[in-house]
Amino acid sequence: MNRRMLVNIGLLGLLLVVLLALPYFGVSNFVLGLASTILIAAVLASSVNFLGGDGGMVSLGHGAIAAASAYAVGWASRQGLDSTTQVLLALGVTLVVSFIYGLLSMRTSGIYFLMVTLAVGMLIYGLAFRLSSVTGGENGISGIAAPGDLHEEWIYYYFVLGIFVLTTAALWVVSNSPFGASLRGLRDSESRMRSLGYNVAQYKLGAFMISGTVAGIAGLLAVWHINFVSPSSAGVERSVLLVVMVILGGIGTLLGPLIGASIVVLVENVLSSYVDRWPTALGLIFILVILFARAGVAGSVPKVLAKLRGRGPSAAPPGDRSSSKGAPAPERNHTP
Amino acid sequence: MFEPVFLAQQVLNGLSFGALLFLLASGLTLVFGLMKIVNMAHGAFYLLGGYIGVVIAGLTGNLLLAVITAVIVVAVTAFLVEVVLLRFVRGQELPEVLLTIGVSFVIADLCLAIFGGDPQNLPTSATIPGALMIGDLIYPWYRIFVIGVAIAIGIGLAFVQTKTRIGAIVRAGVDDREIISAMGVNIAWVFTGMFVVGAGLAALGGTIGSGMQSILPGVQNEVLLYALVVIIIGGLGSVTGAAVGSVLIGLIDAFAKAWIPELAYFTIFLPMALVLVLRPTGLFGRTA
Repeated sequence: MNRRMLVNIGLLGLLLVVLLALPYFGVSNFVLGLASTILIAAVLASSVNFLGGDGGMVSLGHGAIAAASAYAVGWASRQGLDSTTQVLLALGVTLVVSFIYGLLSMRTSGIYFLMVTLAVGMLIYGLAFRLSSVTGGENGISGIAAPGDLHEEWIYYYFVLGIFVLTTAALWVVSNSPFGASLRGLRDSESRMRSLGYNVAQYKLGAFMISGTVAGIAGLLAVWHINFVSPSSAGVERSVLLVVMVILGGIGTLLGPLIGASIVVLVENVLSSYVDRWPTALGLIFILVILFARAGVAGSVPKVLAKLRGRGPSAAPPGDRSSSKGAPAPERNHTP
Repeated sequence: MFEPVFLAQQVLNGLSFGALLFLLASGLTLVFGLMKIVNMAHGAFYLLGGYIGVVIAGLTGNLLLAVITAVIVVAVTAFLVEVVLLRFVRGQELPEVLLTIGVSFVIADLCLAIFGGDPQNLPTSATIPGALMIGDLIYPWYRIFVIGVAIAIGIGLAFVQTKTRIGAIVRAGVDDREIISAMGVNIAWVFTGMFVVGAGLAALGGTIGSGMQSILPGVQNEVLLYALVVIIIGGLGSVTGAAVGSVLIGLIDAFAKAWIPELAYFTIFLPMALVLVLRPTGLFGRTA
């Protein structure tokens, strides 16, 4: 166990060094921009991952939370407000939106949770689309500039990298706190936690607020990066892609969101210039992963390695959480 | 704004859109009731059915032939999806839903590849010409025909569910799938059958609906969301709920689009949010 932890920490350190050194490899601005896009997507995916992995609540509405935050920045910049105000406004809008999501979804779980988040996300999409006096309607808001110090591509890359490391670390801390343990308890059996005296709805609301805040930060990063926000950023496709990222990477794993975001963004941006049918490719990859590698890349690779070394799969690989909670009627299992 | 002709027109708009929603939502809710799957590929089945219907209707000018072809093609597709893919994740709530999302990606993208991205409609030769005229009120017969189809399907579903052996098996499967399989019914094939029927209803909606609203890439998500809202309001698994929800959402949507177009989208989610807060199982849903 100790050796495994050392290996993991070593790998994380190596990854961080590579990410830090990326601008020094003499890569073009396009590659750096792509790397920033991946990191931003990874921040957003990690917010979905936290809620899905620890809380067992898979959200199909997180794209819209990020979009709401991005719209707040866009609106503020169009009013000529400075970047501090933009950040504060984005944070405020994010908190309010996450609170609404949380209130509507805190009494639901599983499929119902998924549909409620989907519907609230569509509501935000609808508002972005129709409330054109604030959101610019179908054209969205363009010309949203990042603060002056962040204009250079490589500086922005480091800024995004810093935020990515911070949010990932913060989510790791929360996940390993007593709060995180209670969330996993809720995921595994809500009725037991309730009978132990936990206020289930309150915990779910809290988890949603944390996750939503991270999603809002990702929205802020995205809008400063591409200087533009439109209704499609709040659409279902975005939120679905986030879940695809999380599952591809390995739900409930630390680096799953980064791996998943890399795959999806690369397929979307690189493969799409060679193949017209990238949604088909993505859909097929997704189907294959669900059928054969439910634990995702980050969850399956250690298992395969362990198998190659002749050991059986470890007792509770992190990625297997998703499969254990899918029983048709978990509430019915009275006997342990 | 409140002239009787205008009101009647909006009521008819709402009812015909509600009829289309019922064709979609009834399939979705039946599949959910029995299999506990929210089929996210339902919109993609609608899209595929719509495209095939438009193409066949364009070739032959015969609406019935178009509907039959679309239903058969989509039913075969759904059969393959169920037998080849869904059976491997049976009983695992989340993987099932995610799998249908993947299927939806693939079907929608292949539709784009085959049929192109332009909006398509049923050719007028295949629809029902003319309009109903009562005084100042002019309303196309075709939309009234859609209402009729939805009512017929609704009655048909209710009849099959309550009066036939197949309906009894399905109802028993909803209540307790262990007991029904212990009594010698192969529940796996009942699931497959229900999934195929649900997809067929979506295809029917797609073909008939393409005479009312264009079929184009992206429409799969829009119709899926309307259908989801309808079954959340009506109660998951309830056909009665789907009917009431469809009419409700159809009417709300029609009047909202006419009166407050800026908030038209918002207005259908408001009743849903209210239902979720006040009665999370939906108007006709059973408590879990």
